[in-house]
Amino acid sequence: MARARRKLALAVAAAGLALAAPAAAQGLRTLHVEALAMHADRTHVQVGQVFHLAIHAHVGERVAALDELVVPNVGTMQLEGDERRVTASPSGTDVVETLTLEASAAGTYTFNAAYLDAIDARTGKPTRFSANPVRVVVDAPALSYAIGPTLRRIAGEVVLAGAAVAVLVVAAFALVLVRRRAPPPPPVATPTPPPAPAAVARTARDEVEDALRAYRSVPANGSLVRLRGALFAAAGAPPGATLRDALAATRDDRLRAALAAAERTAFGPAYVRDASSAELIDAAQAWLR
Amino acid sequence: MSRPRDVVDALQATIVGQREVVEALVLTLIAGGHVLLEGAPGVAKTLACRALAAAVGGVFRRVQFTPDLLPSDIVGTRIFDQRSGEFTTVLGPLFANVVLADEINRAPAKVQSALLEGMQERRATIGLQTHDLPAPFLVLATMNPYDADGTYPLPLAQLDRFLAKVVVAYPSLDEERAIVDRFGAGEPALRANAATLDDVLRWQRDAHQVFVDAKLRDYAVDLVRATRGAELVAHGASPRAALALVALARARAYLEERAYAVPDDVRDVAPAVLRHRISYDERIAIAGTDPEDVVRRIVAGVRAP
Repeated sequence: MARARRKLALAVAAAGLALAAPAAAQGLRTLHVEALAMHADRTHVQVGQVFHLAIHAHVGERVAALDELVVPNVGTMQLEGDERRVTASPSGTDVVETLTLEASAAGTYTFNAAYLDAIDARTGKPTRFSANPVRVVVDAPALSYAIGPTLRRIAGEVVLAGAAVAVLVVAAFALVLVRRRAPPPPPVATPTPPPAPAAVARTARDEVEDALRAYRSVPANGSLVRLRGALFAAAGAPPGATLRDALAATRDDRLRAALAAAERTAFGPAYVRDASSAELIDAAQAWLR
Repeated sequence: MSRPRDVVDALQATIVGQREVVEALVLTLIAGGHVLLEGAPGVAKTLACRALAAAVGGVFRRVQFTPDLLPSDIVGTRIFDQRSGEFTTVLGPLFANVVLADEINRAPAKVQSALLEGMQERRATIGLQTHDLPAPFLVLATMNPYDADGTYPLPLAQLDRFLAKVVVAYPSLDEERAIVDRFGAGEPALRANAATLDDVLRWQRDAHQVFVDAKLRDYAVDLVRATRGAELVAHGASPRAALALVALARARAYLEERAYAVPDDVRDVAPAVLRHRISYDERIAIAGTDPEDVVRRIVAGVRAP
């Protein structure tokens, strides 16, 4: 009897290890992702006007941060602010990231869906959870003398109606969430405490991914220094090394392209920085893929 | 329109190996400075200078510095013409585009001083008349590290006038064999006119426009400050060294056809800029340390941005 029980325990442990191995290999957290949505408070703006792009994620776990959440590239929009709020609730954690953007040129902009990669707690498989893409139309600056009072009134009403619709959508979304959480959990015979998240060793790739995310959100000097440092470390170059050291340390062509782009962005004159910055983002993403 | 790389290629067609020396000569030409060359006899110092002058189509003059040399021997003098009954000015060998001051430390201080004044001011006074030196103007001074008896070592303040000091090493085994093959039947013709003097003046103007980020400026200053108080160093480099670092980093970026300098540019030129601007204390001889190692340690000890 005792031998049979020991065999059973070993089989369970082996099965557990087999399940855990791919998760560890991916370096992903196991999460119940219950909602991931993205919306803009205004989908029709004029050049120079400020609007907000909000990304809302709800996970069933209590987490201190949700670094896996990747916000979309804001392209040529001027990033005025980036605020991430994490709120714990009885049903888990809500993460709301609000990007404050200013449209700098007319056109139709489609923000790619925000996403987060995690092990889906329901299926145990690595999954990419994506929000919806958002389209924003930016008009050329309006000439106030050319717009009649009626047109302005109509525009005002459209904006108000849009805001009202947005409020209704958010309210409906919240209601759905509450209703989904409402049924009591099914009784479990042997309740077990949730497993503590395993400490996953961070790799150079993780560092580059995080640094790239920060740089895309705020492409400023500090985030550029961090991204360049992460790429140098990924190449195996020690701190204080130069580009030549880093290039000599790796044969990976994609990483070498990202390193060269980082050098151009860090030390090039201002007039080439926008182009080299876009090149850096593309090259770093290509390497991460 | 020629590029600086064309001059490098022209020099490499004549000189076997010595790539760093060749590049240093061209970098200094772009930066508008002067070079101190140190190496044993017969390592192609003079040939490199002649090849450089030929490659840019400039006038080349060589002056062998000796203890009995006088300032007028390099600057020029006024002589009395018996037929016209007037004094006429004869310009000295300093009036050339590329001047080779061979074994500069063998001439007394007043001659060195006349040369260095010309290097700095880019003009020379003969009698009561001041004459501008031709442009571009590059002085290549050699120093033989051996046979130091009876020489007049240049003081640190005068060495500081040279933008860079290049150490010309012995060639490798394969290079030495190639030298015998190439020069065994006589000296080959120099590759002339790879560029023009106007090209050189344009490079000098354009190199000034190369962008240097503030982080690189700080790196240059950090390198210079690291020489002061470093182990075995009696006197560190002056602020002029930081200017030289930035100027040569710009020239290197220009040679590489970049519109901006990067940390590699500063780090690569640092030994050439710093090595002659540092004086060592007596412990270096006792310890048997190579001064080049001290410079290498200083450069390696400063983190690149």
